[in-house]
Amino acid sequence: MSRWKRTAILALAVAAVAAFSLLPFLWFLVTSFKTPLEVTAIPPLIIPSGSFGFYRSAFGRYDLLLYVRNSVVVAGCTTLVTMSVSVFAAYALARLRIRRRGLILGGLLIISMFPQISIAGPIWSILQKIGWLNTVQGLVMPYVTLNLPLAVWVLTNFFGELPKEIEEAARIDGCSHAQILFRIVLPLAAPGVFTAAILIFIYAWNEFFFALLIMTRHRLQTLPVGIALFQGQYTMPWGEIAAASIVATLPLVLVVFLFQKRIVRGLSAGALKG
Amino acid sequence: MAAVLASALIALCIITSHASCSDPKRVSPNVLRFVTWNPGHPEVWKSIIAEFEKRNPGITVIREFGPSSSTSFHDMLAQKLRNRSPEVDVFFMDVIWVPEFAAAGWADPIDELLPPAEREQFLPGAIAANTCGGRLYGVPLFIDAGMLFYRSDLLRKYGYRPPATWQEMERQGLHIVREEARTGNDICVFSAQFKQYEGLVCVMQEFILGNNGRLFDPETRVPEIQMPAAIEAVRYVREHIIGRLAPRGVLTYQEPESLALFVQGRALFHRNWPYVWEIAGDPRRSRIAGRVGVTYLPRFPGGRSRSTLGGWQLGVSAFSRNRKMALGFIAFLTGAEIQKRFAIEAGRAPSRKELYRDREVLAANPQFKEMKTVFLNASPRPRTPLYPAVSDALQRYFSTALADPDASVEEEAGKAADRIRWIESMMRRSRAQ
Amino acid sequence: MTAATKKTGARGHASEEVRFAALLLAPCLLVALLFAFYPILYSLYLSLGGTILSLPGSERIFMGAENFIELFHDTVARAALAHTLIFVIVSTALEVMLGLGIALVINRSFRGRGVLRAAVLVPWAIPTVVASQMWRFIFNDNYGLLNYVVFGADPSSFQAWLADPAMSFVAIIIADVWKTSSFAALIMLAGLQMIPDELYESALIDGAGAWQRFKSITLPLVRSSLLIALLFRTLDAFRVFDLVFVMTQGGPADATNVLQFYGYRKIFAEGFLGYGSAISVLVFFVSCAVCVFYIRALGMKMFGADE
Repeated sequence: MSRWKRTAILALAVAAVAAFSLLPFLWFLVTSFKTPLEVTAIPPLIIPSGSFGFYRSAFGRYDLLLYVRNSVVVAGCTTLVTMSVSVFAAYALARLRIRRRGLILGGLLIISMFPQISIAGPIWSILQKIGWLNTVQGLVMPYVTLNLPLAVWVLTNFFGELPKEIEEAARIDGCSHAQILFRIVLPLAAPGVFTAAILIFIYAWNEFFFALLIMTRHRLQTLPVGIALFQGQYTMPWGEIAAASIVATLPLVLVVFLFQKRIVRGLSAGALKG
Repeated sequence: MAAVLASALIALCIITSHASCSDPKRVSPNVLRFVTWNPGHPEVWKSIIAEFEKRNPGITVIREFGPSSSTSFHDMLAQKLRNRSPEVDVFFMDVIWVPEFAAAGWADPIDELLPPAEREQFLPGAIAANTCGGRLYGVPLFIDAGMLFYRSDLLRKYGYRPPATWQEMERQGLHIVREEARTGNDICVFSAQFKQYEGLVCVMQEFILGNNGRLFDPETRVPEIQMPAAIEAVRYVREHIIGRLAPRGVLTYQEPESLALFVQGRALFHRNWPYVWEIAGDPRRSRIAGRVGVTYLPRFPGGRSRSTLGGWQLGVSAFSRNRKMALGFIAFLTGAEIQKRFAIEAGRAPSRKELYRDREVLAANPQFKEMKTVFLNASPRPRTPLYPAVSDALQRYFSTALADPDASVEEEAGKAADRIRWIESMMRRSRAQ
Repeated sequence: MTAATKKTGARGHASEEVRFAALLLAPCLLVALLFAFYPILYSLYLSLGGTILSLPGSERIFMGAENFIELFHDTVARAALAHTLIFVIVSTALEVMLGLGIALVINRSFRGRGVLRAAVLVPWAIPTVVASQMWRFIFNDNYGLLNYVVFGADPSSFQAWLADPAMSFVAIIIADVWKTSSFAALIMLAGLQMIPDELYESALIDGAGAWQRFKSITLPLVRSSLLIALLFRTLDAFRVFDLVFVMTQGGPADATNVLQFYGYRKIFAEGFLGYGSAISVLVFFVSCAVCVFYIRALGMKMFGADE
């Protein structure tokens, strides 16, 4: 095959992949900048008039800002708590002598395989009993639980890859395990922690099922719940839904473009070491 | 580590408490908490609540807004009441929830609010819907019932009167649509709500009642969807309406989508609730303003026109610590004066009979005059504390019968009836406990 | 220093290490036990009772195996199970195939590869609810993009895709494939990256064609990461809920009712905590079975892999 032919095929493949990944999303982006009449126009308008009307109405009439705030709080807390729990567990699993390490790692992995519905009823009952329905911690705790496996696996792998020599040298100098962890390992592990944190944040930002069950109070609902329950009185507010969707997605798209390498590595690390 | 964990938890608490700061949680004797949906006329509500606060100095009404979909609103409210939350004093109930809320002990009986003479002032169907085991659990504020809206200009143009039967609607519609298509006016005959959701039960019950059938025998508590009258009505919708008088898309439509078709001038007839009147007549939201008529729903030959009863009631939470204040608030909202304002300013159909004779109300809503008969005759959906489960079985049946061309109507009706019998048996068992 | 003191010193050191490890692991295990393993057992317990959330007194009913017998006879549940399995099989198969294609493209080196990889990540990063609304809009019967692409500007020929039982099921599969193929691609990309370039070069010298190289080098070496992608996708597809909730609410004709949605409706919309828990238990065991099947197929030693 001649060289330019191969280049042409590759270019075609690249274009196809890019179109597949981006086109549906771009269509919603375009829709969000239309006017109500343009949304229902046939043939559809490719170039919108650039109206911000839907954004104004999504923020003004549909409480979009509220959802954004709630999502930031929930996703932020989930990330914070998950990381602080799993960093230590991962260090122990990667470096310290533990009996039944395989059992612990395997047990955690099983959690990530649970269908949510198999624990949803009981979790709801437990939260109800302790009065945590419609509270931030009530939603954060199930999220933390479901994210633990991913975080622990990614971090355990990451710790495993750090050179052992520094820690051994520190131990010979008489440092305790706690000192080694806090002074030496944690600073070295920052990139891995960051990667896991991104993955968890995205998960918590996007989760819908538990958010729907636990946050029944309008003022506490997160973005996915808000967007799913968007309904107008006399038409489907497609423009506002599109605008809210863009607002919900834009931070993630930014994160993806900024940290593409880390995310790819984080996702595959969890998988391949198994 | 403990330090880090502790600080994480503290951070969590701070953020949490911050989140609840803006939403005062305190249960105070001077604060009345009212759980409602996002109103279509926020300014009317605002001024009415301000009026209440003015007449009752020292009392603050805090409204909490639930989702506008009835099912989601139910789930949210039910969850609050399951939690025995004292943060709810007064709430809106859809007409189908009353038996459930009464059986669960969530709604408090409020018989003293409406002595017999006062009860007489309300539409009897609406009072019956709020009565369970002889006790009153809610006071109706707004009434809803299915109506037939039509394009008065087109009917006049072809010399038709509003149809009395479905068959008549079919004949008129097919004729008008054929003629209009020649002039390039692309229009369909009928638009209504046929998605698999609660509204489907309302719509299908109307067809079945119009054929002298019914969904459920309230005395023997036996489903009647397998009776020939009911089957026939379902079959008519499946064969004549879906994909023929109405586009197949109606199988995905709830109220907003079906209304959009009508107000864009693309449907000749439209089944919906009374709120449509105001929207369809507003030139900013409707292309057919001034060209709309409203009448009773059609029936089948030999049947009678019957609408499904809908509407919103005010109830008092059994866990409220401000019961007296809550009763005062309900008395205020459902009184003649405020209901009149809702009718005139927001176009909502009142629950008090006398308002249908009120000159000012009728001047603002000329359609109410005819609607009163519809409201008087409106039929409730099956009354059971397990209504959500019964409705789920019915929705599944109707949607399958209408959308799946391979399904057998009788067989699907049988399956749904089995489900409903099982649900009834579960209820008897828990009663026996 | 004698041998004896040395020994106790080492033991002291070891016990300090064990204690420290236990301390580090405790919060993690506590959370897992409290919010994951305890709920599973509790679900099992609830499934033996007849609790109905809105009926006081119902929590005292003991059903024994009755819920499961009823579930076995419940045609809706059986249909939901069938829908779920078909959805899982079709969507994961498509996702893994498509994912492999994407992975092969983004594994090549070319200018702007980083940007393309980021673009591929976009569907994965988008909230599923957003993706669902997006596809629901594309499938819209009156002004959806799909109708325009297929039928042109003549609205009278437009299809109501989501009104057709079979099509609405296909629509949900399409939305899922779009949303998650990129995840499968990334997992397999990691596998592709571990294939040394020399293998291809020597095959090229031997005169192997592109298909032959793919068949004899790429596929065998990417096999394990392909199976992992398949495992992850399968388990995730079992949980399909958001798409159904937003796009169809289980309809029309119940054609898109899947197990997780049915269980949700039973427990949270209708209040049948007992019966709904029986569904939960069923879902749990079905997905366990799938898991075991894959782990066997992968020949992985999940437990004690690191020992």
